[in-house]
Amino acid sequence: MADAMVSKKFDWQRFRRRSFASPTDSVITVIVFAGLAWLVWQALNWGILNAVWSADDVEQCGHGGACWSVIDARHRLILFGLYPYDEHWRSTLACLSIIGTVVISCFPWTWTAKRLSTIWIAGFAIYYLLMEGSLLGLPQVTTDQWGGLALTLFLFSSVVLIGMPMGLGLALMRRSEMPVVRGFASLVIDLIRSLPLLTTLFTAAVVIPILLPSWLEGDKIWRVIIAFGLFFACYQAEVLRGGFQAIPKGQFEAGKALGLTYWQILGRIVLPQVFRHALPATVNNVVVTFKETAIVIIIGFFDILASANAAFGTGEWAPYYIEVLAFVAAIYWVFLFGLGQYGEYLKRRMKVAER
Amino acid sequence: MQIKGLATGLAVAAGLTIPSLAMAKSPTITAIQDRGTLLCSGHNGSYFGFVEVNDQNEWKGLDIDLCRAMTTALLGDPEKAQIVPLSWAQRFPALQSGDVDVIIKATGWTMGRDTELGLQFSIPYFFGGAQFMAHGDLGITEAKDLEGGTICVEAGTTIERIAANYLQSLAVEHTMVSYEKASELRAAYLANRCDSFVAWGPFLAVLRATELENPDAHVILNDQLSNEPISAAMRQGDEDFVDFTNWMLAALLIAEEEGITSENVEEMAANPPNPKIARLLGAEPGMGERLGLRDTWAKEMIAAMGNYGEIYHRNLGENSPYKLERGLNNLWSHGGVLYAPQLD
Repeated sequence: MADAMVSKKFDWQRFRRRSFASPTDSVITVIVFAGLAWLVWQALNWGILNAVWSADDVEQCGHGGACWSVIDARHRLILFGLYPYDEHWRSTLACLSIIGTVVISCFPWTWTAKRLSTIWIAGFAIYYLLMEGSLLGLPQVTTDQWGGLALTLFLFSSVVLIGMPMGLGLALMRRSEMPVVRGFASLVIDLIRSLPLLTTLFTAAVVIPILLPSWLEGDKIWRVIIAFGLFFACYQAEVLRGGFQAIPKGQFEAGKALGLTYWQILGRIVLPQVFRHALPATVNNVVVTFKETAIVIIIGFFDILASANAAFGTGEWAPYYIEVLAFVAAIYWVFLFGLGQYGEYLKRRMKVAER
Repeated sequence: MQIKGLATGLAVAAGLTIPSLAMAKSPTITAIQDRGTLLCSGHNGSYFGFVEVNDQNEWKGLDIDLCRAMTTALLGDPEKAQIVPLSWAQRFPALQSGDVDVIIKATGWTMGRDTELGLQFSIPYFFGGAQFMAHGDLGITEAKDLEGGTICVEAGTTIERIAANYLQSLAVEHTMVSYEKASELRAAYLANRCDSFVAWGPFLAVLRATELENPDAHVILNDQLSNEPISAAMRQGDEDFVDFTNWMLAALLIAEEEGITSENVEEMAANPPNPKIARLLGAEPGMGERLGLRDTWAKEMIAAMGNYGEIYHRNLGENSPYKLERGLNNLWSHGGVLYAPQLD
């Protein structure tokens, strides 16, 4: 995609032919471009030229420009939620550790089961040890004080981490030749897919502690992650099932004829193709999951949207909610655009096999 | 069903285990003291004036301060409050499941909650109801002055009916203009399409303080059209905990009544001007034993958080951005409806 854009220079000839062919066309083109220019100018005017940047200059806010002072004063609340102020370096490092883990595992040379699992377990251990702190001799911070972007990233990556293998497991079980296993997988997948995510999470967060004895409850955040992971897994299982169905039966039979075991056929012949077929839908599922983490606000988690809400939720900053929401939207956009572009890259890379 | 069953179970259990009346100790208080923290309700975001987060990522607000006052009374240190973020929908199940010990979260005392949900409510610590806001240049100070004016209101709400009733009983001729959405209502008012508008009092105050260009150009009239008592909610079946919460709130009100503030509390405790203050601040024994606490719990609480008036002004009143008038939320002796039960 990127090199396609670089290699293709802007074709003025073609642009003129298409946009200024007749007087009517010219008028429409001019109007559309004038409108666009006006919009861009307004945005520029509001967001940069007339904007107030520093928290100390807040008195100058409210004269037609954005008041980025609110971000200056409240960005730590948006990024780290209720995490103790003096310990924010831990949250920062923990976030970097998760982002680093995701970025590293995007490089193809890490794609062996051993390397991937090492990287992810290490990244997660660093995150948890830093955030919780008591094992490293730092002041303990319980999970109910985690928040902001740090919590959103943690929820997202642990849900995907738990959900991916579970989804693969469920997809394989659903294809099993044993009726009991197949029936169980179908039941789980169809049951969970027919429940709204909110209900599932509400049950995990609120109802389970009422039903279970307290020693079996566990931390609320883990109950929610497991429930969310299961939800992700059921959708992912269906995505992978589509991938399995695209593979001709002959390939299994050929594998068997060569004397390969079930796991060899799966690992060396079937799964690589399944992943390729399922890739677009998988990226889609992952992106949706990132956005859906915002739903945990309903069960009292202080994720990035909740902390944004708190950031403009005091008397001084209440008029500047647009700035806060724009900031949060930009953060979401960076992550999701990154994910989408990576999906595109993977698709191109895997097409090599088809040439 | 599950919730109700559990509540009944708790009630039965608690009913069987109250042998002593003098030094009753509630299971909730015992659990809080064993744990060393009080679990209070926060919010998933912010609710103006009641539950907010400051620039240092710490909770603040009227409800948070009351939770800290409660924590000081029970554990001697306001920092031992642990605020659990909860959504509105989640607060009652979270209380039942023990995620929090008490809900202090702008929660109205209603019959349904008191009976069907298995909750118990403290004495009210706040009253909020429908109020009028008017353009300041009209020189209006009370609802009677609205004669012949237009009033904007949100369509189909109870407030619409309450306002109509109220103005009718005052025999004030008026035109009611209703709008579907709160934002339209606001815009209409700002565009001078109506002389005043009517809504929940604290909401009006926050709107005036935060979203109107020139807050001083608008007045909130003192007339209270309706009234909802806001109380702390607790699980059914632990009467001693309710007793404690009531007296904790009462102590804050008595302190204001007697002029005890966070500044002069030590001095008052050293030289109590009257026996009531001596008892309240633990200079004379009795305050602690009856609730199973230290004699000085109220003194420590007032030293840390101030009396009710100080807490109010810090979060909603003159020391806050909202500048909300005390109105009903003043002591009975100053024209409000807040009063404490008798301290004997």
